[in-house]
Amino acid sequence: MVWQREDRFAYENFLEKHRIILVFFILLFVCLSAKLFYLQIIKGNKYKAISEQQILHNTNERAPRGIIYSSDNDILVDNEFAYIALYYPPDGHKKISEEILKDIEHMLGREIKPKTDKSNKYGEVLKLADNLTKEEMFKIREQSIRLKGVSVAREPRRVYPLAEASGHITGYTSEINLEELEELSEQGYNPGDYIGRCGIEQTYDTYLQGKNGGWQVEVNARGYRVKAAKYIAPEIGASIYSTINTKLQRTAYDALENSDTGKGAAVVLNTRTGAVLALVSCPGFDTNKIRYKEFDKYFKDKNLPLFNRALQALYPPGSIFKVITFAAAVEVLDINPLEKVLCTGKFELGDRFYTCWYKHGHGMLDLIHATAQSCNIYFYQLGLKLGVKNLEQYSKKFYLGRKTGIDLPNEKSGFVPNPEWKKSKQKMKWLQGDTVIFAIGQGGLWVTPLQMAYMMSLIANKGVCNKPYSVERIVDVNGEELYRHKHEGEEKIELSERTWSLLHTALLKTVDYGTGKRCKLKDIKVAGKTGTAQNPHGKDHAWFISYAPADNPEIALAVIVEHGGGGGINAVPIGRKIYEAYFNINPDIEDNKESAR
Amino acid sequence: MIQEKSFLKRLVSNMDWYLVSAVCVLMGISFTFIYSAGANYGMSFRYLSVQMLASGIGLVGLLLLASFNYQYYKHLDKLVYAVSITLLISVLIFGSVKKGTKGWFDFGFISFQPVEIAKIMYILVLSSFLDTKAKESKRVSLLVIVFAIFLSHLFLIMMQPDFSSTLSYFPVTLVLLYIIGVEPFYLLCIAIVGALSTGIPLLRTFFEMQLKISQNEAFLTNLAMFFRNGYTTIYVIVAVLALIMSCWWLLWKLKIKISIIYPVVLCTVIVLGCTSSIFVEKSLKDYQRRRLVVFLNPKVDPRGSGYNIIQSRIAIGSGRFLGKGFRKGTQTQLGFLPEQHTDFIFSVIGEEGGWILSQLTLLFYFLFIWRALVIAKEARDRYGSLVATGIATMFAFYAVINIGMVTGMMPVTGMPLLLLSYGGSSILSSLCAIGILCSINMRRHIYN
Repeated sequence: MVWQREDRFAYENFLEKHRIILVFFILLFVCLSAKLFYLQIIKGNKYKAISEQQILHNTNERAPRGIIYSSDNDILVDNEFAYIALYYPPDGHKKISEEILKDIEHMLGREIKPKTDKSNKYGEVLKLADNLTKEEMFKIREQSIRLKGVSVAREPRRVYPLAEASGHITGYTSEINLEELEELSEQGYNPGDYIGRCGIEQTYDTYLQGKNGGWQVEVNARGYRVKAAKYIAPEIGASIYSTINTKLQRTAYDALENSDTGKGAAVVLNTRTGAVLALVSCPGFDTNKIRYKEFDKYFKDKNLPLFNRALQALYPPGSIFKVITFAAAVEVLDINPLEKVLCTGKFELGDRFYTCWYKHGHGMLDLIHATAQSCNIYFYQLGLKLGVKNLEQYSKKFYLGRKTGIDLPNEKSGFVPNPEWKKSKQKMKWLQGDTVIFAIGQGGLWVTPLQMAYMMSLIANKGVCNKPYSVERIVDVNGEELYRHKHEGEEKIELSERTWSLLHTALLKTVDYGTGKRCKLKDIKVAGKTGTAQNPHGKDHAWFISYAPADNPEIALAVIVEHGGGGGINAVPIGRKIYEAYFNINPDIEDNKESAR
Repeated sequence: MIQEKSFLKRLVSNMDWYLVSAVCVLMGISFTFIYSAGANYGMSFRYLSVQMLASGIGLVGLLLLASFNYQYYKHLDKLVYAVSITLLISVLIFGSVKKGTKGWFDFGFISFQPVEIAKIMYILVLSSFLDTKAKESKRVSLLVIVFAIFLSHLFLIMMQPDFSSTLSYFPVTLVLLYIIGVEPFYLLCIAIVGALSTGIPLLRTFFEMQLKISQNEAFLTNLAMFFRNGYTTIYVIVAVLALIMSCWWLLWKLKIKISIIYPVVLCTVIVLGCTSSIFVEKSLKDYQRRRLVVFLNPKVDPRGSGYNIIQSRIAIGSGRFLGKGFRKGTQTQLGFLPEQHTDFIFSVIGEEGGWILSQLTLLFYFLFIWRALVIAKEARDRYGSLVATGIATMFAFYAVINIGMVTGMMPVTGMPLLLLSYGGSSILSSLCAIGILCSINMRRHIYN
């Protein structure tokens, strides 16, 4: 074949180029075909997953957290539903119109700062207002025709019926922050989640967290709902049955609040189990106010209401430490309890005088009376005889200087001094004077109220350890028990029977006629010890530790009134009120008139 | 001489049925997926009916043009050229604006885009001119006239402005010049001018986009800074020119004699390309430049200029082997895929029809182009061969650029996939072009 009217050469020339063009086109099409193979066969599953994922969108409905019950069948933490106003932008408008904003501001009478809802993938939903009242919610619903795109949703939130009284034990919740999110995202926490802070809310957060639910919807390219795929109902978190007794908790808080300084802490333990019946730190904070501006004032308050004094505050124990000196002396020195020592109000050691709190001197005292009257002179001498090593050893035996291991966050361990510590820290030699004041619980010795209550519980149990705990059991929404407190192995402080009985007698006498007699009850024998701890920051701290009934102990308690002065006058009445509440005794005014000293 | 009965007989017996059946299959696929893609806009039926109507008119046009002897176009080349220019000028005066382009004659119920017809007329005119001047293929004067014709069309289309429609002019012109025997070196020079003038501003845009997302990639940052500085660009050009000249000098010393013309022309071309790049940079708007380069890395702007490519790739990839089924593609039906019934129709085929159907479509498209090239080979004169090759080239480049675009290998230029994309004027002119192919094919055995 040739082109007509052309020579053969021209046609052959054309054929050659024609072939090259054809090959070129084949190459191009092979490239396209290969690319299709790559996209659809090799990478097909990946793209399939992307296409499925980009049409699904979950609307998040926050699950209510679990409810926390008290041991007397009351509710410590409950949920209620709050109403929030949301703005879903209609068709394409990302920004809310000024008109609508003004309308709502007028309606609610407060300023509105729209906030994007982080849980929304498209970032289009704006949160207009929190904490709407029912009236406000209905107002907005009524005007829904005018307010295009504004809707009202329900959101669970926490209620704390005891408010200030239980703030420290329950803790509170707030939105997870960025740093925490980085740490916790592996455990399934998402932006916008609320997590517990302080108290039971923090320790048992994973149990309390419910499972968030919501609609899984199919959306189109603009993010509008095409059809709902399925609804997953949010699941409430597990219920916690705590050991807290609301009556004791409230009584203790009220008593502390009405004390002279209104600052202090009280811990009540069940001696038989270690259950925390009440754990109070005063001043407290109202956990219901966490959502409001008022909460900020707690951060600025100089009395540190957010500081949990029962676990975190370190105090010098003062005279209540004599209990340990007592036990050590009987055990190690095997002293004769009837041997009397003269108290003149002064004790000379080297070139220094150490005084008794009773300046005129107690006169001749035996061990029991010295404890009941809390005579310093007697214990100075015991301390000198024992030496610092024994004092340190016995302090540690009674769990001072280490954490009790309670299931609440931020517990402090306290401190027991020793010569090495003084040498390395203060660059000074341990002197006998240090030993002397160690024996009455001063000088470098730091304890928490919880440790003191625990110590008392150990004494009441004759050395059997029942570790303090605040949560008895956790039950999930289906009634299945997820957790039950287990009594840990039998740890015991081995002291002779004689030591225990002498100590019990001494503590009983203290309340019977000694410094603690303001806590003397008619039918129930109370054993205890008062303390007046000197401290460098101001007035003395008033201590009272005790247990009751003395012959068959049930509860042990520790009370401290910060800068409250004498323990016998200020701390003991608070202990008395707690006992009255626990044993259901009507306060007997007659009994109470006598002076403590 | 030609009687009615014998004409029909001739039509049936001489028609290239491979070509026609490939076209029919492609049109069938087109109808199916335009219907599917239209559902997202709620316009399935409307799109389908418009497309079918246009195809019907196109088929009539095909038959008419098939029966019309193509050789008359050669004799009437001046008229054809005049008509094409008139169409392009009148649309600038009387046309209506759609999507910022003044390129439509609006007849109320139907609108028509004259540039689609002008493209085919250009092939006819250029082929005719090259056919008569085939003997002078080595002369530069031929190139000058060709460029005059080329630029007259290009200029009028750019006035609309319709950037994507001009793209097919480049490969068609180059291929026809190549066939007629123009020195490949000159064609290379033309390609270099084109590549430099568009490549420099586009690469600069790309590096700037890349710079925004990756502050710490030292290499790219340096490169971007390098391109930003005007003086360094000049240094680079001077260095390249010096390199070319020294290479030539070295070869000369090694007794490999190459005419001095080549390096000089090459240098001129590079300078020309760089200069014209400044004008191209000014004429293209920022968003257009971004759209053109974003295919290199769509992730630099996933919500803006890269969105189309990302979504199109997801659509095609998620179709996997068998596809998601007719009207069941989530990318298509939920509107993630942009321009799904026009430029991105192939993504719909890929998603809903899977690998099988997209490969089949590609195969039929190639079959069609191959038949067009066979017609070019068997044409009875050079004019027929040139016209057929020109038409084949046009279809092939449209397909490669479009499918390359939807799979993310080529820039997003807004070129439709001829025969498959929705568009009345486009299908009409495509079918007319096929009619001309048939006319060439039917007359391959006529001698006179």
